[in-house]
Amino acid sequence: MHPFFNGLISLGDPQLIIVLLVSTLGGVIIGALPGLNATNGAALLLPFTLSMDAVPAIASLVAIYCSATFAGAITAILINTPGTPASATTCLDGYPLAQRGEAGRALGLAVVSSTIGGVLSVVCLMLAAPFLARMAYHFAPPEYFALTLFGLSMLASIGEGSPLKNLISGSLGVFLALIGVDMLTSVERFTFGSNDLYDGIGFVPVMIGIFGISELLVQASLLNKKRETVKMKAIKLPTIEDYREVWKAILRSSGIGTFIGILPAEGATVASMIGYNEAKRWSKSPEKFGKGAIEGIAGSEAANNAATGGAMVPTLALGIPGSATAAVILAGLMVHGVRPGPSMFTEQADFAYTIFWSMMLVNLAFLFVGLTGAKIFARVTLIPIPILWPCVFIISIVGAYALDQSMFDVWIVLISGIIGFFMRRYGFSVVPLAIGLILGEMLEQRLGQSMVMLDEKWWLMFTRPLAFVFFLLTIIALFGPYLWGKIIHPFILKIKS
Amino acid sequence: MTKNNIEGWIVFCLITLFCGSAFWVSTTFDKMPPILKRGIQPADFPQIILVFIVIITIAMTWFDPIKVSKRLDNKTLGSFGLIALFSILTIVDLFVALGVFAAALSFFWGEKRWNFLFGIGIIMPTFIFFLFDQVFEIRFPRGVITNLWYG
Repeated sequence: MHPFFNGLISLGDPQLIIVLLVSTLGGVIIGALPGLNATNGAALLLPFTLSMDAVPAIASLVAIYCSATFAGAITAILINTPGTPASATTCLDGYPLAQRGEAGRALGLAVVSSTIGGVLSVVCLMLAAPFLARMAYHFAPPEYFALTLFGLSMLASIGEGSPLKNLISGSLGVFLALIGVDMLTSVERFTFGSNDLYDGIGFVPVMIGIFGISELLVQASLLNKKRETVKMKAIKLPTIEDYREVWKAILRSSGIGTFIGILPAEGATVASMIGYNEAKRWSKSPEKFGKGAIEGIAGSEAANNAATGGAMVPTLALGIPGSATAAVILAGLMVHGVRPGPSMFTEQADFAYTIFWSMMLVNLAFLFVGLTGAKIFARVTLIPIPILWPCVFIISIVGAYALDQSMFDVWIVLISGIIGFFMRRYGFSVVPLAIGLILGEMLEQRLGQSMVMLDEKWWLMFTRPLAFVFFLLTIIALFGPYLWGKIIHPFILKIKS
Repeated sequence: MTKNNIEGWIVFCLITLFCGSAFWVSTTFDKMPPILKRGIQPADFPQIILVFIVIITIAMTWFDPIKVSKRLDNKTLGSFGLIALFSILTIVDLFVALGVFAAALSFFWGEKRWNFLFGIGIIMPTFIFFLFDQVFEIRFPRGVITNLWYG
């Protein structure tokens, strides 16, 4: 039977359904909690999935990704604080609408827009899969190397940091990945005789540290921030008039979100910003934006949830994370022995389609969860930070210890948490560090394999068309932001003026 | 980077010092004979990465200097102190360290209700301990208190 149907049949497993529903609920709670988002939520829960089979483990992480991305809208609308960075633009119109006493309507729109965006992106993912499967036949080690290099070069444009700082952060991640015994030659590198470092630095403790513990330290400086909740009677489904007003914005943003998500290393935050801007640009009444325009909520929410589906394309098909949370999911795939890449849609197609169908189910599940439970989740946002974050710390530490029952992983969590805090303080995004750590070992292996294949004539890599295209894209990704910001954009402005 | 921005210079120096030290360590790696090296020597790739980091760091000081807007506040510094305390207490017992840290952090961050502090410092770690011990079958490292359970 075609993997498409096998994936659908897999959803008949009651255990998987329960895991998905619980993870969806957990994801919505994580997204609504102050300071927690899809990325650090998935990182914290990653160790707990290790005892599961690969399918429910990855499905639960994906469920947390989709539902926490949606749940960011709850805090954005009710307390004017985006639960996730991707919901920042939802604040702009969601909160003013809530202040006018229409919080239920705003949340209803956010839920429906998120669901439509998420479902459409999963449909695109399913349609794209056969084409990605065909790509697998054109990939040899040089193409894989060029592709991984391209994925790393995209680090320049992600995260809150600047391109140069992101590159430093990503390269540091690559360097950390090289610690331990070299897979190609069995030579120990940077282990200093320590048995704990023999297998290298695990990416799960590092992720828990840089996403969880560093956020705890960031929260310490935000304790004085006051949070006021807007009262909400009940969530309201959008009316026919609402749909008439927003359907174009939803469809447009779903397309934008999916496309942005597909770009390696771009994520829901960029998607929601572009989705919101385009909704405003095409709106008949752009003057309403920022004052409670429902098109603004729809544009932002449809885009950020569509990006979750899009982000899974490079993650599964190329082995390059489409976003920060996708990096955590990629780590989850690797610890479960699943090697993502173009061959995934030929060799492990059933697994890939089960994940797609799980995403579809989650997107429909949080429609139900969001509509029925938004009032409860609104209260979750008020859990005091002095109570929440010590609990997060306990879960982080015990989760990291549980990986190998090793205190060494606990030290890694603490050290990477402190390093992560200072990186963020000095403008370095921690996301590239995580991605570099995941891709670093792969990059070196593929370089070594390419060198063996090409008889150590590395320049022959440039004679292979597909590899050449990826090298070209790498150069564009590295120098593009600088050329655009410093040369092309000022030049265009000069011509215009 | 302005002259007043000492933290920016410290970061620059730390990165270059780290890369320099790591590069020096990489020169001590075993070299493989041509037939076994599988394309590249073990030290080649780390050295390429380290040189790349140094080049980008130098470029950063030119094009994108580090700007620090505010000093670390007392709550953040205190939280660092509590993490240090946690690290020391793990030598005695991880379970105790978790409870003390959680309650102390909560108190330090402004939680004064004793029942909440009790919940965070005693009930939460105990719940997690038994969850891991009974459900996931993961044993905490032995310590003063955990030994009472493990015997």
